[in-house]
Amino acid sequence: MENKTVPEPVKESTGAKLGKSFGSMFKRLFIREKDHLSVLEEEALQTPTQTVFKNFVRTRLGVVGVVAFILIMLFSFVGSQLRPIDESYQEPALSNIRPGANYLKYPAQIVKEGVKEISSGISYSVALTNEGNVYAWGKQPIYLSGMSTSVFNFPAGFKQGQIAHIAAGDRFWVALSEDGEFYGLGYNNFKQAELPEEAKEKMQSSSVKQLLAGEGVTGILFEDGEIFIWGSTMSTRQDNVPKEYQGRIVHAEFTSLNVVVLLDDGTIGVFGVSGNELSLIPAELTDGSVEVVAFTTSGRAALALDSTGKLHVWGSRLHDILQIPDFEGKVVDLFGGKNNFGVLLDNGQVIYWGANHFNQLAFPKAMKSANYVSVYSDMFQSYAVAEDGNVTAWGHKGFVFGSDQFGRDNLTRLIHGGRISLTVGAIAMIISVIIALFMGLVSGYFGGWLDNLLMRITDVVISIPFMPLAITLSTIVTGRVPEMYRIYMIMVILGFLNWPGLARLIRAHLLLEREKDFVLAARALGVKQRNIMVRHILPNIFNLVIVNVTLGYANALLMESALSFLGFGVSPPTPSWGNMLDSAQSSTVIQYYWWRWVIPGLAVIFAALSVNLIGDALRDAMDPKASEK
Amino acid sequence: MLRYLAKRLISMIPVVIAITIVVFGMVKAMPGDPAAMMINPALKEEQRIAAYNAMREKLSLDKPMPVQYVKWVAATVQGDLGWSAMNNRPVKDVILEPLKNTLILNVFVTVFQIAIILPIGVMMAVKRGSFMDRFWQVFSLIGYSMPSFFIGLSLIFLLALKLKWLPPGGMPISAYGKNFAYYVSWLKYLILPTLSLTIISIAGAIRYVRNAMIEALDQDYIRTARSKGLPEKVVIYSHAFRNALIPISTIIIMSVFAMLSGSAITEQVFAWKGIGHTLVLALNNRDYMLVIALNLLSTMLAITANIVADITYGIVDPRIKLE
Repeated sequence: MENKTVPEPVKESTGAKLGKSFGSMFKRLFIREKDHLSVLEEEALQTPTQTVFKNFVRTRLGVVGVVAFILIMLFSFVGSQLRPIDESYQEPALSNIRPGANYLKYPAQIVKEGVKEISSGISYSVALTNEGNVYAWGKQPIYLSGMSTSVFNFPAGFKQGQIAHIAAGDRFWVALSEDGEFYGLGYNNFKQAELPEEAKEKMQSSSVKQLLAGEGVTGILFEDGEIFIWGSTMSTRQDNVPKEYQGRIVHAEFTSLNVVVLLDDGTIGVFGVSGNELSLIPAELTDGSVEVVAFTTSGRAALALDSTGKLHVWGSRLHDILQIPDFEGKVVDLFGGKNNFGVLLDNGQVIYWGANHFNQLAFPKAMKSANYVSVYSDMFQSYAVAEDGNVTAWGHKGFVFGSDQFGRDNLTRLIHGGRISLTVGAIAMIISVIIALFMGLVSGYFGGWLDNLLMRITDVVISIPFMPLAITLSTIVTGRVPEMYRIYMIMVILGFLNWPGLARLIRAHLLLEREKDFVLAARALGVKQRNIMVRHILPNIFNLVIVNVTLGYANALLMESALSFLGFGVSPPTPSWGNMLDSAQSSTVIQYYWWRWVIPGLAVIFAALSVNLIGDALRDAMDPKASEK
Repeated sequence: MLRYLAKRLISMIPVVIAITIVVFGMVKAMPGDPAAMMINPALKEEQRIAAYNAMREKLSLDKPMPVQYVKWVAATVQGDLGWSAMNNRPVKDVILEPLKNTLILNVFVTVFQIAIILPIGVMMAVKRGSFMDRFWQVFSLIGYSMPSFFIGLSLIFLLALKLKWLPPGGMPISAYGKNFAYYVSWLKYLILPTLSLTIISIAGAIRYVRNAMIEALDQDYIRTARSKGLPEKVVIYSHAFRNALIPISTIIIMSVFAMLSGSAITEQVFAWKGIGHTLVLALNNRDYMLVIALNLLSTMLAITANIVADITYGIVDPRIKLE
């Protein structure tokens, strides 16, 4: 009779088939469904809640939504407990690195050929083997300038097997072959990966003792004790070598802003930026009272070993790097990462201390038993070579989701941003539901002038465009409260602007329900007006509220992200999914640093989509007529 | 019709009054002296003091709040919107350009939106459960779960930066005069924000069009029309669609309204110098007088949209006029 009752043979797509088979598998796993029902079971009554629940489970997408949302909650709330965040932490050296966690996955050949030296940049490491071969692994730092190359792209004519020195800076590395051929790979924006003419001339007369590379700077130390430094030295003046040091340098190391050198009389010299903690060398290291035999540097501090076996440390006290832990044994070697120091003891054990933002202190378990002969630590990665030639790597594995402009881990910020975004959305939603319930119920119940007044207020709020008002209010309100309360103000603003739709809906349904027969029956029975309202009418609009709260929550999530994206929501450094994207308003970020906007964007979509799926499924479950559409 | 319209206009009056009170509240909440912000700071010392005192007098800042409010409304109606510190010009001279840009963007989007959602929504309802129906439902679900800026960023990434077909954002410079080439490049800049907003508004509206059409197709008069032997085309377009137009017009108007609000984000993403973009700029530059004027402007636009909506209802559903 009716057209729609004739089921048309709809060809099923592969996706639908897959979905169905997945659904039936899910059902078989979790819900026991009997094929045959007894008469009693067929006639068994179920409460409305049971009906809704059964209907809900039957809609596959709803279940998918619930599972996805639970996963998101686990990711954000459990994840933020497992992965604590230091909101103020920044590591500019690690900015804008591609997603990848293979920094420590060294090639097997370096073990086979024997490690001569390993040097690490921010996201990659380079090894020189005893056979003179060079291997590089890890992740390519983004290079935007045309003069830069990939750190893995060995230039034509690279003399594998004849390399004598390597040194990795932050985003570039340099190598020198036995016959004096110079190679530079990676960032070259300050010509740090090119050999200057003066150095070339100097190499004719003196042989190279040490090749060194720092943050944008490169240096060559010659056998005659002279050093030549070039690269990004405009602000640090690291190329300004004091005259009295030239000709006396035995060993040199870069820090972020300085160069530390060991002179031939066993004293220490520092140059570069003057007046910082590092240039305040302990007196005994400069007056000749102790003889320094070896030293190493971190980003902003230095560690020296004197001939009596005593350690001296000075520089910035950040990350507790100046506090040498207690240990027993004689120090045979020193090494320093970007924010760490370590020593190798004569019993083959490794002691390491300092910052632990990237698991630098998390030693592999095997390290307790093995005997190590040398350790290479640079930046955030460390490699220890054992007696039998095996290499153990520990430290920074990489950023699974990349890093942002301040070198912060995107994954950690995504987890904590999720916690903030989900909470802000939820509280904003609760506030707006409370207001909507109050407005809707009061105007629907009392009617008359009160109804008129409340509905006019609703009209006003609903007819002001949301975004312009929200960002204006955010500026006015957040300017007047302390930083720590700003996030609550965002919740309040979102809550106070989002209630009118729901309030109207509640009122309309209240008016509809009020005219129904069961209310008339209740009234005939003499039930009090208030009880009719609370016990008879309210439960009937409960479904409506639940569905709209769910859909409204998705909307609140989107609103928060939009507000924070514009810079008027949750303010950095507190992360939220929206403000992780706010730096994406430049085409450089959009094009080259895609992980900085795609990943948090997808997180918002994933969350909003799962909540919308739940909301749609709930609506269908509560109103079976709707699902037929 | 006229009587109906007059009635609707009168019912708008309390809303307009309430909105002006809200905006006046904003003026009072802004940091700084409103009178000082209303005048040109570049005037000479004596002239500035004179202008300041005149403005205080005009706004009656020493009088009680209600008097201040009335004076402020009077000044605003006369076009005395204050001095834009950011542009160093009176506010009323700088708000017309953003208004024009926002209107152009939204008109384009509305036209495209209607041209797309009507045929597709009807098709979805008629061919319920078909592949195309499913496809558009999924599109709609994902589309309205997506932050609008994400669509914008994706379009910039794909069409502007990777394929280099269109400029990533901004507006053309009219330094070389407004010739034909200027208008062509202007259209080029318009494409991405229009596309972005169109996708968002289609995703939000299309499922409602579908549901409205399904509702109409399920009515008894459709069965009658079919049993009379009318061709399916006539049944769908002449009987069902006309009746579905009432809810559909509500949906379109609602989405135009949402667009006015949502275009702030899209304008910001594409640096399209509309009301939203200018507002963000003004807020970041603490140009409070401009902020207030833009808020007033966007609410006035919204109210105009409301009135247009009422007129449309009156045309689409003759019963409304009789009530």
